[in-house]
Amino acid sequence: MRRGKPWAWLVFVLGALYFMLPLVATIQFALSIRRGTYSLDAFTNVLYDAHFQESFVYSFIIGLCAIVVGVLIVAPAAYFVRLRLPRLRPIIEFLTLLPLVIPAIVLVFGYIRLYNTSSFINLTGSALGTDILLTFAYVALALPYMYRAVDTGLRTIDVQTLTEAANILGANTPTILFKVIFPNIIVALLSGAFLTLAIVIGEFTIASLLNRPAFGVYMQNVGANRAYEPAALAIISFIFTWVAMGMIQLLARFAPKTAPS
Amino acid sequence: MKRTSLIATSVSVAALLTSIVPSYADAMSDLVAAATKEGQLTVIALPHNWCGYGAVIDSFKKKYPGITVNELNPDAGSGDEVQAIEANKGNTGPQAPDVIDVGLGYGPTAKEQKLIQPYKVSTWDSIPDTAKDADGYWYGDYYGVMSFIVNTDIVTNVPKTWADLQNSEYKNSVALAGPPRTAAQGIQGVYAAGLASNGGNADTAADAGLQFFKKLNAAGNFVPVTGNAAPVAQGTTPIVAAWDYNALAWRDGFAGNPKAEVVVPSDAVLAGVYIQAISAYAPHPNAAKLWEEYLYSDEGQIGWLAGYCHPIRFNDLAKNGKVPADLLAKLPSADLYAKAVFPTLDQLNAANKTITGQWDSVVGADVSK
Amino acid sequence: MFPSSNEPLTGATNVAPVGRGGWIGRLPRLRLGEVLGVAPFIIFAVMFLVLPPFYLFGLAFTDKAGQFTLQNIVDLGQPLIVSAFWISILISAASALIGAVVGLFIALAVIRGNLPGWIRAVVTTFSGVASNFAGIPLAFAFISTVGRLGILTILLRTVFHIDIYRSGFNLFTFSGLTLIYCYFQIPLTILLITPAIDGLKREWSEAAETLGAKPWQFWTYVGIPVLWPNLLGTLSLLFANAFGAVATAYALTGTSINIITLQLYAQIRGDALQNPGLGAAIALAMVAIAAFANVIYLIVRTRAERWLK
Repeated sequence: MRRGKPWAWLVFVLGALYFMLPLVATIQFALSIRRGTYSLDAFTNVLYDAHFQESFVYSFIIGLCAIVVGVLIVAPAAYFVRLRLPRLRPIIEFLTLLPLVIPAIVLVFGYIRLYNTSSFINLTGSALGTDILLTFAYVALALPYMYRAVDTGLRTIDVQTLTEAANILGANTPTILFKVIFPNIIVALLSGAFLTLAIVIGEFTIASLLNRPAFGVYMQNVGANRAYEPAALAIISFIFTWVAMGMIQLLARFAPKTAPS
Repeated sequence: MKRTSLIATSVSVAALLTSIVPSYADAMSDLVAAATKEGQLTVIALPHNWCGYGAVIDSFKKKYPGITVNELNPDAGSGDEVQAIEANKGNTGPQAPDVIDVGLGYGPTAKEQKLIQPYKVSTWDSIPDTAKDADGYWYGDYYGVMSFIVNTDIVTNVPKTWADLQNSEYKNSVALAGPPRTAAQGIQGVYAAGLASNGGNADTAADAGLQFFKKLNAAGNFVPVTGNAAPVAQGTTPIVAAWDYNALAWRDGFAGNPKAEVVVPSDAVLAGVYIQAISAYAPHPNAAKLWEEYLYSDEGQIGWLAGYCHPIRFNDLAKNGKVPADLLAKLPSADLYAKAVFPTLDQLNAANKTITGQWDSVVGADVSK
Repeated sequence: MFPSSNEPLTGATNVAPVGRGGWIGRLPRLRLGEVLGVAPFIIFAVMFLVLPPFYLFGLAFTDKAGQFTLQNIVDLGQPLIVSAFWISILISAASALIGAVVGLFIALAVIRGNLPGWIRAVVTTFSGVASNFAGIPLAFAFISTVGRLGILTILLRTVFHIDIYRSGFNLFTFSGLTLIYCYFQIPLTILLITPAIDGLKREWSEAAETLGAKPWQFWTYVGIPVLWPNLLGTLSLLFANAFGAVATAYALTGTSINIITLQLYAQIRGDALQNPGLGAAIALAMVAIAAFANVIYLIVRTRAERWLK
């Protein structure tokens, strides 16, 4: 094993500095809420704040809904495209790339205009309707990642064989999908789920323009009104994202590496 | 014969009187019942540390437990509030505000655009005439004066006047408390600077203010960030021009870390009146009316006083001895308020138009290198 | 493997005979199932990805009275709007370029620099986290670092006697915003470019070395051309990512500074431009610019792939 090249070490160390410094600075800032001494007051203020708890729970629940809806929309489509409708693949892939080209603020501007009280589908007319709209907006944001995760998952299992086998045993399509395919791509689904959750928890633009009490909106409010608590919030948010990403890494170990022959 | 008829007359007169008098109490309980049936009140742009709104909302909720208060966008400016009504015409969902609390200059335009509905609270007569619309569409709620909040950990030499702000020692330090295109607090900050630099001429203060900020921006003293408690404390905007009630509330919120001072500039004392109005498209009009009744009751007005605001019925309350002495002691001195300039509606309207329309072209806080 | 031939299975009584007629007999039912399976996706995509931009397209050509007008497009030429677009494009391009180059170097260092094995895993996880750390918390983190009371600011002032704020530094300048945006652009590059670098087989560089090529020759003739399509795709993705970012800038300044996403935000929320049609025109122009970046990528990639073949 050759020793690490010096330029590689240099690049790595410089990169580590650039990325670590803000994190260290944030922790230090969060601990400085009391003049002249370090204390955890900023963290306790945040964690015991009722608004923090409410908004975090709200965003978490919306995230879960976005995951479920996302899976239900993406997985059957990816399955059928892979199995029976390869001609549709370019169209589907183009659609999944749209959220990367159309900024979230443009999307939500369109939603507010399209789905308000004066249109045929009224979603902003009630709290529940707006929550539904918010969920679909997040499904749209997470679509590229969810689709790629599911597609990768389907690629590593032999979809054709599984489907034929299940068909022969008399299963109908929903059964195949939910009882045969899903359990086999559960790791990919969970990866997509954690990524969606990470996106939803901190999201600000859509939630604030739809006036929902989401976590991102709460964070921005704290950022304008309190000096030290935002740093504590940033650390909490970072830890949460780290856990979500760490779960994905963990799951990657359990993913089937190659299609069974 | 004469005595019995006298008694009979007085009895019938008394009976007549008692049949008219309870109307207020009945009307109030009817309103409470109707409001409770609606069950919700949607408010917008009410930060909890603005005029003590946090405590005011809490006591409203305690008094009328059947009504939930849905608080939208606390950071909204006056322009955002009016836009929220406009954008939600016919929408009865939770984004549609029932009541708005906006700068005085926004009242007539909102009435013109038919965005608000008239309502005269029961204490209507004790609101000064200059601070309310004769037809009852909007009515002043509280006022304060434009002041500076200074983070004294960062700024050692506290500025005492608007002119001081142009000094080079305040590089990268001065900010407005709201975007001058959509927030009354920001617009009035510009207006106050104008008053200071043109010797108090209220008609040309808007243009003078724009020129003042153009000079401030060119000198590098102006920071294009919306000033609030956090940027002051974090040092992004160590000097912010804000209403005195906000400045005092933020200073209290720091609890000594950082140390801050509130200064009313001596070259211009600009008073700013805010007004209440009920949205013409309010999804919960009765809850809105009940909220207004509460705000204009003695309880509501004192609630604002506790938040360092001068409630609009201040003189009336003081006359009846209802103002607690300890709250009075915490307010800025009355002499200051005696020389405060209260712009007329026309002056405010014109100033609004000038400042919102020309801010970008005259000052233009573009992103620099 | 199950036989897909014409022979019927024996012994199983409850199974439909897989005869010549069997599969064809089942086809219509599958077709309906296919449609039902793909329909939710298509409906969702139309409702929430396709219709909104089309609607905004229509709104951009409507004036406040509801009549057709080209005035909104003309209004896009206002100095305020143009400078907002320009600065947004500059910041996005700068952070995309810096992000791509720095990210490429870090990825190369980690994958091909013979560093200890655990470094790669840590860098990958961290990149996943950091690329999602954008938005509000990122603004807080940078305020804590280079804000007026930030640890780096104080360090520079007390140890090196450089007061960056006195010399006019601020986070909401071009350099400040680019610096912040790099924090999520670089990790995103690392994530996107890693598969391509993995594809650069070690055998190739070893073969080149055997043939006497110096490292720069390897990179010029083999390395960069192989990575080129992936790099371009990354660049256009990074550009679109930064171009549409709202939260970080909003958390830093409110709607005060003049970048195009904040202008659009102020218009949607507070009618700051007093013209919803103009807001729609801005939104349309934003999509056009981001799409343009993608189109350039596609064109260059097709050319590059032709060359590679």
